[in-house]
Amino acid sequence: MIKVSNLSKDFKLSRKQRREHGDEYRDRKTLKAVENVSFECEPGRVFGLIGPNGAGKTTTLRIISTMLKPSSGSVTVAGFDTQESPKEVRRNIGFMTAQTALYDRLTPTEMVQYIADLYGMNSTLFEERKNRIFSMLDMESFADRRTARLSSGMKQKTSIARTIIHDPAVVVFDEPTTGLDVMTARRIIELIRTCREEGKTVIFSTHHMAEVRLLCDDLAIIHSGKLYFHGTKEQFESQMQADSYEDEFVRLVGEA
Amino acid sequence: MGWFVIFVKELTDMLRDRRTLFMMIGAPLVIMPLLMTTIIKVTESQVEKARSKELKIAVLGGDAAPELTARFSAEERFNIFTDIDEDSVRAMTAEETLDGAVIIPSGFYELIKMDRQASVKLIFKSSESFDAARRRIENIVGQYSAEIVNERIDRLDLDPTLFEAVVIVKEDVASTRESFAENAGGFLPYLFIIFGFMGSMYPALDLGAGEKERGTLETILSSPASRFDIVLGKFLVVMLFGVLTALVAILGVFIMVWQLPSLEVDIKAVVMDMLGAQRIIFIMSLVLPVTAFFAATGLAISIFAKSFKEAQSIMAPLNFVIIIPAAIGMLPGFELNYATAAIPILNLALATKAILAGNVEPILMAEVYLSLFALAGISIFACAKWFNREETLFRS
Repeated sequence: MIKVSNLSKDFKLSRKQRREHGDEYRDRKTLKAVENVSFECEPGRVFGLIGPNGAGKTTTLRIISTMLKPSSGSVTVAGFDTQESPKEVRRNIGFMTAQTALYDRLTPTEMVQYIADLYGMNSTLFEERKNRIFSMLDMESFADRRTARLSSGMKQKTSIARTIIHDPAVVVFDEPTTGLDVMTARRIIELIRTCREEGKTVIFSTHHMAEVRLLCDDLAIIHSGKLYFHGTKEQFESQMQADSYEDEFVRLVGEA
Repeated sequence: MGWFVIFVKELTDMLRDRRTLFMMIGAPLVIMPLLMTTIIKVTESQVEKARSKELKIAVLGGDAAPELTARFSAEERFNIFTDIDEDSVRAMTAEETLDGAVIIPSGFYELIKMDRQASVKLIFKSSESFDAARRRIENIVGQYSAEIVNERIDRLDLDPTLFEAVVIVKEDVASTRESFAENAGGFLPYLFIIFGFMGSMYPALDLGAGEKERGTLETILSSPASRFDIVLGKFLVVMLFGVLTALVAILGVFIMVWQLPSLEVDIKAVVMDMLGAQRIIFIMSLVLPVTAFFAATGLAISIFAKSFKEAQSIMAPLNFVIIIPAAIGMLPGFELNYATAAIPILNLALATKAILAGNVEPILMAEVYLSLFALAGISIFACAKWFNREETLFRS
């Protein structure tokens, strides 16, 4: 489970950034990327963090994954505080983006072995997990071929394998389908569903409302670092004033 | 042991990279000896060509010095021209239709006969290859002059020592090793430094900026490995490649010296002795902290850059910071003293020269070690701190 409480994150602005952001930021030394955000993600449910580009989604996910430290507020993942026990938090999460994030000169087997070693998995458990995942994703035929020589579909499968090899309790997806073709995006969506079925806590960021409708059990709408909605999909639908998810999203963000 | 997992993975990855392997093995072991050997052989062949080349020499006023003119004519590799006027020889020498000219004034022979001093004018073009015409003409005139002087001394029954009041008896106490170390020893540390730098730069680029470009940085940052583990694993691989490249460069020097037929046997023996295992270990103990500095600096720059390309452009000026002190170390006259021993890189170059020459002063070496290890320590600490900054890792 993930619990985000009154989370804020400020970034220092360089002189150049202040110039680039225009008059509004000329005299400001910091940029509030996330401002007083709170939500919870439950195991066995998919939580969608929805917002336009620059809303603060990636910053929130990076704080959850301990890559960034919050300026104020707190985050707990699987019962561990991200600031007090960052290593334990990381031990419990898998992180995935739309980028395949693989090493060209390693094979899929070596890639997942590397991640498993970083997570301290023993060889028996690794072999068992690897065989199961490779079989599930139909990866055996290219398991020992260097990544540089793989097709984009094969790379995406490898990326999925390295995300879940250590069987994380929490899986974080940062805009996982952005820029992907339909087939590859569908594979990611299947992975998210599988994670939910396995009782994992899943949080994913997106600005595609179709994915929200398709996948989410709970959602939060974030814009300019502030939270505009947080609740279940049913709650969101019941309070909708517009005809579609897209229009409701635009209405909420537009009002902001 | 997260750092070890990262170290093993990065090492495997880098050992499969052709560009890194070329930089580590190909450049110092093949390209460098090949290039140096080619330069030496081409220079030797050009010198030989200039020595054996038939030169077109004009001799004007030859009637005034028949004996000297006869010597010019007897020279096998001279093609003598006598029917050119004085104004034309200057222009022709400048245009290189003539290689040189000797103008003998009238009354030359009479002055010689009267036991007086005579002169000849030599027209040459110093920019011509190896200044061969001047050298060969001077050689003939010099021999002729010496013979006349000897004949005068004999005829007048003079003591030859009258013409050389003081004779310098030279005794060089420098061993062949010391002379060689002073004159050519600076080249060796230059190679260590340059190849150590080159060998660590590409892995540094790939393991920092490359990781950002591939998007793999987030994968390892979200793993249980601590930031220190990540930076340590990467740093050790970058440093290892720098050290190995420097070692391969030494092997390249061995190969180069071994297969140069023109190098005198005793010089060859001195070089081989200088590059003995003990000295190499001593030198490598100095190369180690310098490579640590290269690795930490390269990694810090690389992790700061948004892309591989940006990292390369930031690292380019660093070349000068490395090359300038290394090149100063090559200059003769620069020695290890309390001031130079404190200047990193320059101190490595000068200390290597001292080690090769066999005249190491322990107190100065201690200062060199202190300076180099302090630099390495500071740069590793700065790199680790730098890697912990959110602004560096997620700079956009």
